[in-house]
Amino acid sequence: MGIDMIFRIAAIGILVSILNQVLIRSGREEIAMMTTLTGVIVVLAMVAKEIVNLFDTVKAMFQF
Amino acid sequence: MVLKIGGSLLVLAASSLIGWILAGDFSRRPNELRALQGMLEMFETEITFMSNVIADAFDKISKSSQSSVALFFKLTAEKLQAGGMNACQAWEAAVKEGIRATALNKEDESILLSFGKMLGNSDVEGQVKNIRLTLHQLKLQEQKAEESRKKNESMCKSLGVLGGLAVVVVLC
Repeated sequence: MGIDMIFRIAAIGILVSILNQVLIRSGREEIAMMTTLTGVIVVLAMVAKEIVNLFDTVKAMFQF
Repeated sequence: MVLKIGGSLLVLAASSLIGWILAGDFSRRPNELRALQGMLEMFETEITFMSNVIADAFDKISKSSQSSVALFFKLTAEKLQAGGMNACQAWEAAVKEGIRATALNKEDESILLSFGKMLGNSDVEGQVKNIRLTLHQLKLQEQKAEESRKKNESMCKSLGVLGGLAVVVVLC
């Protein structure tokens, strides 16, 4: 965790949006859609651990 | 840290290179189709006005151009001079052998093969008609190739670079 993860997610977001534009410009909407989906899944896989961490923290908070 | 940066640069360079090579194929195909049309026109004049035999005509045509499609004519002339094959078989073998070195696809190959079927088994008029038909088909293929070049060339280049960047970001 840390600031570098946020930067990494931002970079993936920028890349995916440019890829999307390039693919749509050349008339491949369905592949553009797949690219977006792949980006979302990759970011989700990166963030999953942190979300679990958050849930554990919340759980520990409310368990007396 | 240095290792990481070096590896990232390598990955980026490799994927960009792949993109460039794929884009190069798209831009080579229309050029090759154009060269092929020029050569067929030369062949037409060779047989109508100079009445050369196929082996000599093909040898002359293959020497006139630097394009990779000149290989078809060169191989056919060699096979014919070596003997044991008729023009049709020699052309078919040459096309199948030489198509790997060009950027032509299956459709172009089948047009060339059907051109070979008629090669050398009718009179001059029939040959000229066959050449005209092939030229017409190649012209259509060239238009299609030009369209797909416009569509795909820049996409392949940017896709290579961006894909490399994405891999670097995900792996780092």
